Amino acid sequence: MDPLWINIFRKKLDEESLAYFLKHLPIFAELSPRALATLENLVHVRNYETYETIFAEGDPGSGMYMIRKGSVQIYACDQNGAEEELARLIPGDFFGETTLTAPAPRSASARTMETTELVGLFRADILELAERKPSISSSILLGLTRVVSERLQAASQEIRRLRKQSSEQVSRENIET
Amino acid sequence: MNNPVQKYRGWSRAQAAMAFLILAAAIACGLSVYSSASSLIGVSRTAFSVLFLPLLFSLVLAFLLDPLVTQLEKLFSRTVSIFFVYVLTLGLATLLVLWLVPHLQEFWGNMRTDFPRYTHQAIEGLKRSMAALHDRFPFIEDYGLPMKLRSWAEQLMAAILAQTPQSAMKIGGLLILVPLFTFFFLRDGRRIMSACVALAPNRHFEMAHDLSYLVSRQLSQFVRGRVLEAIIVGLVIAGGLSLTDIRYAPMLGIFAGVTNLIPYIGPIIGMIPGLLIAFADLGVGGQFWWIVILYILIAQVLVDNFILIPILISRVSNLHPLLVFFAIIIGGKLYGVIGMIIGVPIVSVVKITLLEIRTYRRNFRLPESALESDRPHNL
Repeated sequence: MDPLWINIFRKKLDEESLAYFLKHLPIFAELSPRALATLENLVHVRNYETYETIFAEGDPGSGMYMIRKGSVQIYACDQNGAEEELARLIPGDFFGETTLTAPAPRSASARTMETTELVGLFRADILELAERKPSISSSILLGLTRVVSERLQAASQEIRRLRKQSSEQVSRENIET
Repeated sequence: MNNPVQKYRGWSRAQAAMAFLILAAAIACGLSVYSSASSLIGVSRTAFSVLFLPLLFSLVLAFLLDPLVTQLEKLFSRTVSIFFVYVLTLGLATLLVLWLVPHLQEFWGNMRTDFPRYTHQAIEGLKRSMAALHDRFPFIEDYGLPMKLRSWAEQLMAAILAQTPQSAMKIGGLLILVPLFTFFFLRDGRRIMSACVALAPNRHFEMAHDLSYLVSRQLSQFVRGRVLEAIIVGLVIAGGLSLTDIRYAPMLGIFAGVTNLIPYIGPIIGMIPGLLIAFADLGVGGQFWWIVILYILIAQVLVDNFILIPILISRVSNLHPLLVFFAIIIGGKLYGVIGMIIGVPIVSVVKITLLEIRTYRRNFRLPESALESDRPHNL
């Protein structure tokens, strides 16, 4: 076939489409094509410059962001204003998911490290979808809950490991003294 | 040498002519820009005034029909749901028109004979009361009030007769535009809204998005509540009046319902024609007092204040009476009778928006200005 015609009739579920990107995120991996199409209309694509603040600690948090292109630094400031990097996120990662269901101030700040494209999903959209299409919104929220609980589990394991490590260290110091 | 006067004196005639031409061209350009700008404002004002009513009615209709469409959307696609809702609304509207047309014809036919009769009775009453007043206070001059009332009533009748075909044209235009606009508001309202919110800068996007959701939710509740309240009050009055021998019961019900959209003053204006007609046709008797009780106690106190307002209208949208008067006067000045009716709801809408923003600001600390240095300090 002529390359021109191939180009015209090519279906847009290629790597550049938003649906493809969403489908390959762990949160939305189990969504049906119909739910994915709804989600595609629900999210907001935002473009950021280098070193642009996405949100600051204490800002009203109303949703989560997924990184499509670029990278994002999550950091917190201590009382003296010194910044401590908490995480460096790359395409495919997401952040801010804790404020998606419950309104709360942001617990850390986020800024872009290069030209970045983010896909935002906000509480208002989810609430509105829950009225229109409850089944789709619940499948989206289920996926989110699964990932959040996995993260919580990993975090509690990490806390246990750190606690064990610190108690071992304390006992070692006691023995030495 | 550098003295400007000397420099000026040193200009050749050609240079002076060129300077004059440039200056004249600059002034002409300025004037033309100014006049085109003012005509642009004029054009946009005309366009807006033409679109204002259809847009407003479509928005209200979209707010009213949206819950139905949302319910149907659980089963069908949005466009199909809107189609079903439209068929339903069209059916209901046809039934309403079929019921209303005979009454309207009767109203219109009788009004031509009844209106002069009512005016005559009012003038007679006024004459009697003026005479009684004159007997008690002889020093009061005769201002010729009955004559003024007569000429005013004649003018009103002439205006109604002249403007009816014009208003019919306007209503015809609305009947085409409003369903069309409403369809697009219902189908693409969310997309239009998010396109507007998307214009917000990155740093304030989240807040703008959240606020737009909160405000539009409050607004839809408010509009739905007010319109439902007006419809129910109108139905109660029409029903109550049709129990008596009064004429034009459906028309009076519609009038009372529409004026009920204006708080404080609306219900009073709404009951005036009904009471006047009852007084003129039925005289002061059992039926007249029933109508008074219906208007004040049943429709306003019992149905509106005790039942409808607590259920339908949130306390948030309550306006100070002074603000209501301002809204009615300014609305009347800008858009006439329709401005008087829609002025108060529009002020309520502004108040709801401001209150939502204030609540939001209270709940969260607002993001600092995006102008602060975003670059990392210790990287």
